Parts: sequence; structure tokens; C-alpha cells
Amino acid sequence: MTSEPADNDAPTTVSIAAGPLVGPILRRVVGMLAARADLPLDRLDDAVLVADLIAARAPAHVLHGTVDVAFEPGPRTLSLRVGPLRPGGGDALVVDAAVPGVGNVIEQLADELRVSPEGEREYLLVRLEYAGTS
Amino acid sequence: MGSSATQPLRSVDMTARHETPRTDVKLTLPAVPENVAVVRHVLGAFAESMRLPDELIEDLRLAVTEACTNVVRHAYPAGEPGAVEISIEPREDRVRIVVADTGRGIGTSADTSGPGLGLPLIAAIADSIDLQSAPGGGSRVAMVFGRRDPGQAA
Repeated sequence: MTSEPADNDAPTTVSIAAGPLVGPILRRVVGMLAARADLPLDRLDDAVLVADLIAARAPAHVLHGTVDVAFEPGPRTLSLRVGPLRPGGGDALVVDAAVPGVGNVIEQLADELRVSPEGEREYLLVRLEYAGTS
Repeated sequence: MGSSATQPLRSVDMTARHETPRTDVKLTLPAVPENVAVVRHVLGAFAESMRLPDELIEDLRLAVTEACTNVVRHAYPAGEPGAVEISIEPREDRVRIVVADTGRGIGTSADTSGPGLGLPLIAAIADSIDLQSAPGGGSRVAMVFGRRDPGQAA
């Protein structure tokens, strides 16, 4: 499904200095945008869990001391672009997100997960969607 | 817990990794009414994390809501998309918040009959306010709030 561009095509981004504010702020933004994207409650909860994992693990892999996330909300879809990350940081972030006894939570919850290299930096792209019927 | 290289999520101490943690936040959103609520939620998360006193939290929310609403209502011509950028810079003794846009700058707009209450309200709440029009277009409202301890006399 392709989503129509919103009335406004200004970006939605957040940049948070690596530190104690990353988790609380990222989870609030993701929660709000997931709700607005009309994700059902279980997928909204998944999105917030993914945000918590990114917030916990990304600071070790960012390039410039800030955790930067760009959002692309769509109908029942929320895409996150995390970075810039240092080379190898995208895969490392995903590996770090593994929880003993549970496995890799981001891999299990995301509908799309890939690393996009761009020169000397890279980005982690995560997409969550709800394909079911209400 | 086994000897796995992975760690439980809750054991991460991010502050330990950064000796002098900067806690700045920059949020860029489409300047639409529903995003004012997002800004208020982010401010709430920020205030909780910083353990700011309730009175200051309410001041921050009110002032930033007014500044963002000004951007949504007046910065861009109808039908023309634009962004609002909120920067939060906490320091030991103060919190500085800047609300900026790339719209038509400060001045009267066709959709208002005169100066509103927003900016005077912000000026009354904040310890200081700096209002600027950017040369290339846009406006910037910088607000500084002192971090008063609860119970401390004003």
C-alpha cells in the first residue's frame, strides 16, 4: 500500500543528546505518532518497545553524540530512520537489542528492518505496520 | 543470567558512558495543530526526567504551547507546508527553549485583527524572552526559565 503524502511534507525529526533523556522523549514521540498512524494498541505497544530498545542501544553507535530519528508516519504504518550511525553501527545496534531468553526484539517486531549505508555513515531503517483488519 | 554477550535492557547505564551528558533536545515537526500536543508530551517527558517543579512545568507548557500555536496559526500562508522547530537546552540554573520557524517572519498577518495575547503571556511567564526575525525568513522565540527549587521564594 502506498500512502498519500500528508498535507504537510515538513519532516518529523527528533535529535536528542545521548544521555538520560533519550528514552523518555523517544518513547513519547513514537507513542504519539503510532497512535496518530492509527496503529492498534498491540502494535502501538510494539512501537514503543522498539523505541525503548533503540534509545537504550543507539547511544553507543551514533556518530556525533546525538540520537537522531526521522519519522515517516503513514496509514497504519510508522517508519523510523535512526542515524547517522558509525560504520557497522546499524548491525551492531540490532545485535545489541537481543534480550537473553527472548531473542532479538527489534527483528521480531519490525515488518521491515535494514541498514542503509551512506558514505562514511549509515542509518537503521525500521518500519512497523498493521496489515490486519480492525 | 548466562554469559551471553547481550545484556538485559534495564541494566544499561547510559550516563556512565558519557561523563558530561548533554541533555539537549531538538524536535522538528510539521506546523499543524495536532503537533502542538506532541510538543506538550515531549515537554512532559523532559520535565519528568529532569524532576522539574510542577510550577515550572506548567509555565514551560503554557509558554511553549503559545509559541507553537503562533507558528501554526501565523507563520505560513494557508496551504503552504512548513515546520516548527523546538530546541530544549537545560542547564543547572535554567531551561532555555527556542521555538523557530522558516515562515514569513514576525509581523501582522492577514488572518488576525491585531496583536494577540500569546507573546505578552510568554513574556509574563518566562524570565526572559528574545524575539527575532531571521533575515532569510522565519522567526525565532527564545525563552529562558529559571530553575527555582520548590519552596524557594520567588
